[in-house]
Amino acid sequence: MASRVSSKGKGKAGRGPDDGSTARCVKDWSTWAMKKAKVVAHYGFIPLIIVIGMNSEPKPHLSQLVSPV
Amino acid sequence: MGSSVSHAATLPPPPPPPPAVGLTGVLPPKTEEKGETKVDWLNLPCPVPFEEIQREALMSLKPELFEGLRFDFTKGLNQKFSLSHSVFMGSMEVPSQSSDTIKVPTAHYEFGANFLDPKLMLVGRVLTDGRLNARVKCDLTDNLTLKINAQLTNEPHFSQGMFNFDYKGKDYRSQFQVGNNAFYGANYIQSVSPHLSLGSEVFWLGHQRKSGIGFAARYNTDKMVATGQVASTGIVALSYVQKVSEKVSLASDFMYNHMTRDVTSSFGYDYILRQCRLRGKIDSTGCVAAYLEERLNMGVNFILSAEIDHRKKDYKFGFGMTVGE
Repeated sequence: MASRVSSKGKGKAGRGPDDGSTARCVKDWSTWAMKKAKVVAHYGFIPLIIVIGMNSEPKPHLSQLVSPV
Repeated sequence: MGSSVSHAATLPPPPPPPPAVGLTGVLPPKTEEKGETKVDWLNLPCPVPFEEIQREALMSLKPELFEGLRFDFTKGLNQKFSLSHSVFMGSMEVPSQSSDTIKVPTAHYEFGANFLDPKLMLVGRVLTDGRLNARVKCDLTDNLTLKINAQLTNEPHFSQGMFNFDYKGKDYRSQFQVGNNAFYGANYIQSVSPHLSLGSEVFWLGHQRKSGIGFAARYNTDKMVATGQVASTGIVALSYVQKVSEKVSLASDFMYNHMTRDVTSSFGYDYILRQCRLRGKIDSTGCVAAYLEERLNMGVNFILSAEIDHRKKDYKFGFGMTVGE
């Protein structure tokens, strides 16, 4: 057990970029995905609510969306 | 002959039972009383959610006080979908380290869209500076609910979001929270008697490596609600609300912060009348506040808000109007 741990440690020090690259790749991709998801949510949330609302029963008319009455 | 037949046909109807004498006709039968005093320990009511444990006290003691002009217009397009337009012009307080209050004059217009369905609720509000407040509540199954709360801004690293998974059991509720900055939290509340429910919560803040645990208890009857909360962050919060009548509630609240040695207590009233709702409170910091919502017409409400802090010499007065449901 101890030898396995120590070899793993040595291995990591020796081949740093290769061994940790998968973890770093996953982290980079998830950060990129979160950033894109945040932009999508920021611009798309209100239009999403409007689209869902305009398609609910009874269907309101498009002019009701902009007129103040 | 004829007379005897006619006599038999016209027998008088049987006499009606004698009317109940004295109180036996008024009081309910005794067996019902026995049923009320016996507690069914297997059928306890479902408790309120953990974050709403102090909701009566918060509703009475913490109205949305503001300074300036506020105008809200809500337009319903159909039963489930509505749009809202809101204008605010006035001063907003910026939290500062010193004891002086810093007020920044702001004016903004906020556009909002609401979709309310029994199973899905979507509420979005966007301000003129691009900030978005989003709330989603979705019933995934009968007992499991997903809630999302987010404030998204254009500036990087200032956005916040929180995902909550709520599970409602027969006489308990549990919740699991995931938030940005690697925030993880869980809480659980259980009814232990028809009037008493106990709960606890744990949370872990990843970025600051902080964790905490807290306990809460709530005792409520038809006429009163008493709650207590203790947290390992050094906060003790107690509250008591008494419903004096259908229209009047009195509430009081006590908070002690062990880290900053801060003690605050407040006492307030809540009058819910036919045409208006008036809430007032006085604080141990010498702050007096009042909030009035007056119904002028169907769907038209006039709002007055006042907060006077004698110690900090901070006087805030606001007025506004709300049109629409």
